[in-house]
Amino acid sequence: MSATIELPGLNCGSCGYRTCDEFAKRLSTEPSLIKRCIALSSATAKGAKPAHKKSVAAKTPEPACSCAGCGGDAATGCKPMNPNNVPEDKKWVDSLGREFDFYLEHFPEDPGPRETMKLHNPLLTREMDITVGDTIIGRPLGMSCGCPITHCGVVVAVDMKTCIITWCVTGPLKPRETGFKDVGYYSAESYEGIIRDTRVELKIGMRHYFQPMMCMLQWRHSGLINYINRTKDNAYQVRIEGLWIG
Amino acid sequence: MAAGRIYFDNAATSALDERAMAAMLPYFGTHSGNPSSMHLDGRAAKEAVEKARAQLAEMLDVQASEIVFTSGGTESNNMALNGVAELFRGKDCHFIVGAFEHPCVLEAAERLGAYGVKITRLNCGTDGMVDPEELAKAIRPETRLISIMSANNVTGVVQDIAALAQVAAEHGILFHTDAVQAAGKIPLPFAKGAIDMASFSAHKLHGPKGVGALYVKSGLQLPALLRGGGQERGLRSGTENVPGIVGFGKAAEICKMEMGSNTAKVVNIREHMISWILENVPGAYLIGDRYRRMRGHICLGVDGKEGAAMKLLLELDERGISVSTGSACSSSHSGSSHVLTAMGFDPVKAHGSLRISLSRQNTMEEAELFLDKFSSAVQSL
Repeated sequence: MSATIELPGLNCGSCGYRTCDEFAKRLSTEPSLIKRCIALSSATAKGAKPAHKKSVAAKTPEPACSCAGCGGDAATGCKPMNPNNVPEDKKWVDSLGREFDFYLEHFPEDPGPRETMKLHNPLLTREMDITVGDTIIGRPLGMSCGCPITHCGVVVAVDMKTCIITWCVTGPLKPRETGFKDVGYYSAESYEGIIRDTRVELKIGMRHYFQPMMCMLQWRHSGLINYINRTKDNAYQVRIEGLWIG
Repeated sequence: MAAGRIYFDNAATSALDERAMAAMLPYFGTHSGNPSSMHLDGRAAKEAVEKARAQLAEMLDVQASEIVFTSGGTESNNMALNGVAELFRGKDCHFIVGAFEHPCVLEAAERLGAYGVKITRLNCGTDGMVDPEELAKAIRPETRLISIMSANNVTGVVQDIAALAQVAAEHGILFHTDAVQAAGKIPLPFAKGAIDMASFSAHKLHGPKGVGALYVKSGLQLPALLRGGGQERGLRSGTENVPGIVGFGKAAEICKMEMGSNTAKVVNIREHMISWILENVPGAYLIGDRYRRMRGHICLGVDGKEGAAMKLLLELDERGISVSTGSACSSSHSGSSHVLTAMGFDPVKAHGSLRISLSRQNTMEEAELFLDKFSSAVQSL
């Protein structure tokens, strides 16, 4: 049997050889290389095996059906997506299945969620000359709202006496465009934002579980509301301190 | 790209091939007629557009009359989904789309959901592949369209499009594939006849930005997206982007001519890089099937450092290397990578992928430089 009959004869190079003939010669001494031919390999593996055993968390729940958007099951069929792409039966549950009381949105006039923070080494605020308008990056560390994700954003206020910084977390585009100061680690002291969607009555002094809308891990946070103000459009402006993840 | 830098972000865009640019230049100047005009200048422009159509059709092994030029992949994908929804307006309508599709497919589908089209977003396996049996299970009596991308823009995983399109054909359902990443780099199974529509973008294959195409299989009466002048068989009115189309055609011709040798070269660089990284960078893991991936596509994570993916990107940027990563916390697209989530990754890991995408213009020397800098960048986190 000739090589070009066994192989597809596309000469596409995806195996690392320019032609199917060249590949066939290599296969004669190392047949296991056949998996390099993307035209011959198929989807029959059913996608069940992890590409690398470390690449998939064992705790990740298997979806009830193969649809990613509905939360339904294969027996009853998928529900259509709702406008916010939040399954109705999971609306008050974070990505780890934990319940929370409300969503925290950022102020519409801000470029991102407003956060008050203190650098792990507060003296850096002066040493790095952190000023309003600076783009900074760092990771929230430790007791107060520790998070594995590097955050970046723009400084909106600095108190040089206390070294407290207020910033809006904006995402990666800003530092890519403007450069940045890397502050290393910081502690998140408070969030300020808007609550439009809550399932409980909000009271000053109460600790709540909540979901920051822009948290990319979609993990619930908790904190104590110590400022609350009803807005004209029946939402609540709040400040939340004593932050924890989970 | 900027001199002295290593550009490994070709899945985002690739540099315009000089030969494609040379082919385009006359159509900015002396040959700037409107293809719809009847005079000599118009006819010359029309001839250039038709030549480009033939070049693209030859690369894809389809008929030239099945190619509709558009402004890019996003328009092509929107045209396919909106067109089919329009085709079945007034009837029960259900679409199946990959949960790992490009946002221009997902958001177009979501928009149609607001108009009553039922949408199923189909997950893939942890290797990034869609199982044809799972696809078949998701089909309903009112399913009108299945849209699964040929190769993923984040992981580079190449789907078995022939098998998936065959499932659609067996059920009498239209099949569309977003082939923006795949076209010009791997053969696509148009000859088997089961693909009804496919989307392409010129700038992913060393053509110009601002031009793309939609393959519409002969016989499929897709409603027009843009109406007016009747260009592109009435499917896409508007004066053609002649220089862009000419550049697209030339870029396609080059891809067709050089596919075997270019792909083999890029695959060898890719494999060298993957092997080196997995052996030498502690905790590094490859995302997606090792070999069923685009020729220059490497999607990586580093165990325990996924949260610092953005810092890794910026570290590499400072070292003169352009790569890509997923969205970061509180970016305009909040949430982890929908692609990696569809593959079953937990939110932290779904955040922390690094995408390295090579092109035929990259060299093994650049790869060696990258590996040296990558290792030190990871250690610096």
